[in-house]
Amino acid sequence: MKHCLIVDDSRVVRTVAGRIIKDLSFEVSEAGDGAQALSQCREKMPDAILLDWNMPVMNGLDFLRALRREENGKDPVVMFCTNENDAEHIAEAIRSGANEYIMKPFDADIVESKFSEVGLI
Amino acid sequence: MQDTTFNEIADLALRHTGQALKASKSYLMEARLSAINRRESFATLDDLAHCLKARPNPRFEAEIAAALTGKLTRFFGDREIIDRIVTHALPERLKNSTTGRLRVWCAGVSTGQEAYSLAMALADAKDSPLRGAEIEIIGTDISTDCLETATHGSYGHFDVQKGLSIERLLANFSRQETGNWQINEDLRNAVGFRRHNLIEDASSLGHFDIIICRNVLSDMTKGMRAKAAKHMSDQLLPGGLMFSATTEDLNGVVEGLNPSRAVRGAFTRNRNDGAVAAA
Repeated sequence: MKHCLIVDDSRVVRTVAGRIIKDLSFEVSEAGDGAQALSQCREKMPDAILLDWNMPVMNGLDFLRALRREENGKDPVVMFCTNENDAEHIAEAIRSGANEYIMKPFDADIVESKFSEVGLI
Repeated sequence: MQDTTFNEIADLALRHTGQALKASKSYLMEARLSAINRRESFATLDDLAHCLKARPNPRFEAEIAAALTGKLTRFFGDREIIDRIVTHALPERLKNSTTGRLRVWCAGVSTGQEAYSLAMALADAKDSPLRGAEIEIIGTDISTDCLETATHGSYGHFDVQKGLSIERLLANFSRQETGNWQINEDLRNAVGFRRHNLIEDASSLGHFDIIICRNVLSDMTKGMRAKAAKHMSDQLLPGGLMFSATTEDLNGVVEGLNPSRAVRGAFTRNRNDGAVAAA
């Protein structure tokens, strides 16, 4: 079973996204900020990461840049999932190594479509 | 809603668009007519049906019938079909073309996503043998509301996140102040939209190399489906291809329109069928 790490400071978002992603037959784990997520990735690199942008301690973009410098850090498919919905933020995320981008609010159809776009399902 | 109201509106839909509405899906009728009902300040569909009877108005009836047609569509909803058209069907047609001009008809295009998906796929196929070909894409629908959205090419947050990769979104759309995303002008100019009722003669649209008609005819009665298929077949050039969904069930419906041996999922007109002149 593939593993997806959900990184978001909102427990509600983690819960909703977690239910959707479990329905896509993924094992799901959670982190509340970028630093926690990085620590979890060092222990076990996930196959996919759903990543919020604005979080305390370490934001999503800093996490992504740090992740891509880690050993095997280029392996996970990283999808931003954020309220930052303008073209400039999206372009910056892609330049920094994100594979896909989900604009909040989202629904199960969107998550499934994006997972399909990047070949996770 | 009273049974008589359902029957009267279902009858109206059948006459105007060939749609066979099932009583078990009366909730769809209520949902699809809710905007018109609100605009006209009717409390219920019974009031709307009463008004139609008391003051017959063909234009209003046509609007209601158009609103009752299904509008489910998404970008690259039929990715495999789009790929097959771009990599195989259109290049084959181009080989046999003396003018280098090809025409594609997206029938029942709703809000335009299918037509724009094809336009995007063609724009992305830079090394394709189609390079340099003049390809005209026409989308038709019965609903003027849908066509307005299609022509404007502006889609909401949810629409652009289903079927489009983020790279395609960034490359082909611009975000508007409303939060909607509008497809770029070059792609808007690559697709033309016209109002057309599929159960009516389509000769004014001209002839086509490819017709895409997927998940459009399946709600029609068998007779109306045959009528619509015949009108489309009449506009298909000999050797041209018509792509339908299995639910459309066009096998044997129109004389001279047969499953293609070369392209899976497509129907073709016999090349020796001389009824259609070159476009």
